[in-house]
Amino acid sequence: MINTEGMVAETASKIYTDLCGREVPHQAEAGEYPQALWDALQENGLPLAWVGEANGGFGADYDETFGAIWASAQAASPVPFAETLIANWMLDRAGLAPADGTASFALSGHTPSADIPFGMHAAKIVLFDEAHQEISLFDNRLAVRSAEEALSPDGMTQFIFSGHLAEQSAKTSLSRRSVEALILTVRAVQMAAAMETALNLSIDYVCQREQFGRPLSKFQAIQQQLAVAASECAAATMAATQAASAIARHADDPEQAWHEAVIAKVQIGHSVEAVTVPFHQVHGAMGYTQEYDLHHYTRRLWAWRDALGNEYHWSKRLGEELSRQSPDQIWKGVTTGDWVAS
Amino acid sequence: MQRFNFPVVQPDPALEELRADLQAFLMAERDAGNFKPEPECWMASADPEFSKKMGKRGWIGLTWSSQYGGHDKSALERYIVTEETLRAGAPVGAHWIADRQHAPMLIAHGSEAQKLDILPRIAAGECYFAIGLSEPGAGSDLTNVKTSAEKVNDGWKINGQKVWSSGAHISHYMVALLRTSPADGRNRHVGLSQIMIDLSLPGVTIKPIVDLSGDAHFNEVYFEDVIVPEDCLLGDEGGGWAQVTGELAMERSGPERFLSSYITLETALRQLSGKMGSDSHARLGKLIANLRTLKGMSWAIANLLDQGVSPETEAALVKDLGNRLENDLTLQVRALLNDLPSEDWSPDMRRIMNIGVLRSPPNTLRGGTTEVMRGITARQLGLR
Repeated sequence: MINTEGMVAETASKIYTDLCGREVPHQAEAGEYPQALWDALQENGLPLAWVGEANGGFGADYDETFGAIWASAQAASPVPFAETLIANWMLDRAGLAPADGTASFALSGHTPSADIPFGMHAAKIVLFDEAHQEISLFDNRLAVRSAEEALSPDGMTQFIFSGHLAEQSAKTSLSRRSVEALILTVRAVQMAAAMETALNLSIDYVCQREQFGRPLSKFQAIQQQLAVAASECAAATMAATQAASAIARHADDPEQAWHEAVIAKVQIGHSVEAVTVPFHQVHGAMGYTQEYDLHHYTRRLWAWRDALGNEYHWSKRLGEELSRQSPDQIWKGVTTGDWVAS
Repeated sequence: MQRFNFPVVQPDPALEELRADLQAFLMAERDAGNFKPEPECWMASADPEFSKKMGKRGWIGLTWSSQYGGHDKSALERYIVTEETLRAGAPVGAHWIADRQHAPMLIAHGSEAQKLDILPRIAAGECYFAIGLSEPGAGSDLTNVKTSAEKVNDGWKINGQKVWSSGAHISHYMVALLRTSPADGRNRHVGLSQIMIDLSLPGVTIKPIVDLSGDAHFNEVYFEDVIVPEDCLLGDEGGGWAQVTGELAMERSGPERFLSSYITLETALRQLSGKMGSDSHARLGKLIANLRTLKGMSWAIANLLDQGVSPETEAALVKDLGNRLENDLTLQVRALLNDLPSEDWSPDMRRIMNIGVLRSPPNTLRGGTTEVMRGITARQLGLR
């Protein structure tokens, strides 16, 4: 279970409950940006949760901040809360002040141009430049707004770094694996929360919708599909929880959480198909409409499974690393979560 | 509010010491030729001599009181023992069911005399139990059991037949679900009771059933006017159904549900010693991610059980996921070996793979079929 207790998680949960009801993601997609939601998150300092006190944040526990991210994903957040948390964390780890509003991030492997998650609504872009061990802050107004088809409303816009001067830059001791570990874990928590919410929508729908004179939920074919999907959702929650717990346990060196984060990415990424197919199937044509809520979750799941490399990419990277390890080391990792880097 | 309850468990160094002891023992036994590793060892590899060695080292009966020959340890320590013996593919089948299931049942429902007599023998690895649930007319539809126990002067008189009883031919007792009074119309859950039967009693006949691989580890067991003492009724007369479903729920989430084929993967890793193509890397990465996630789920449930919480939904989900993974694992390992013609596999690889394939069909049957498990999940999701 993702920890949903503590001030950060509880405050975020209340804000999302109050200001991000089911109509809000619909309105946001129609062009009505929920400024009040962002303002409330910002006034409560939530985007600074992972910024140390020296840089004006409050250095909250990783653990309860994952609870806040869970709440944001349950509400299909139309504002870049998780992205800003990550961007500010990267700035903080280079000794830079946090962004004063919304922000998103990119990793240097993708430059000179990069696809920026939530690029439409992030004021700043934080770049992790591995080769120079540098973190830089850019103004996102310089981004190329792409009109291409995006999988989800918080999808990508392209940012071309070359030719633009960073507003600020500083050296960082963060390794690429540390950055990957945090980003993959945040996405894992979001995906597990989105899956569970979509499962709940599906259960409600099949209990209400009647065909052949009885609710769909009474058909064994429907029951068995949703039971399988539920098991995938439960596994997703577990994988996200293990990754979040590893990050919290290794707060000083998130690189140590890399394996558990990659495992969550692989486990959950592969589950996306196994849940979105039955969720859409049991909803019939209704689930394919813009009017209904299901797509707020399934589209985000399709986008998030691709983010930072898809599940096949990460399965291969994990397997490649493990192929260099002894059976004893692999067994220790599987049973205790204590992995060695090789 | 999250739907699924899988708490995070922080690492415990004391458990890792126990793990190291187990590993040293198992490796020495294997290297001395005292066993050949096999998949599904907890069901199909029984060796009473090996069970006695485990008993001597204090690795059976971990969870119960030393007053009854146990070792006053937690269910988590027992979990480590089961996990390591599965990894090794060790012949633990003789004592597994008694240790997992029937000893706790006796502790809950047995008489003081039974506990003092039987539990120390189970802990010593000398006394084994068989499960007596299925009958020719009662498989997934367990309420249809017909084998009866009739109250007589000196106890219960049993007549009927059980089937698919693993290990009955080497077991000392069976705990059977029996009809002690007729079904109440359509409500067939009533009138069932659990009774412990000494399998050496007159009137008991055990006939082996040969499986498709030629092994005979399960049996038909016939009862003809078998008389057992009154105190062999375990729990409440007529309360058998609730007891059985409670037990089944709790045995569904253990490591045997997803690590029984791990030996196949590990043997392949040794055979390949790192020489894999990129498609194999992807397969290995996904398999390990699935295994690690299931371990997390199973371990979280073990910790909840240890705290007295019974997460039935989560346990049913682990069995379904675990069974699917076990069958997929054998398939994926074959694919991992795709650069190596099977003629070039080591004898161990070939033996273990073949056993794994031959023993795979019952994975999704025993302890509740996949379809039954999904029905339970559906009920708990509020769909039925």
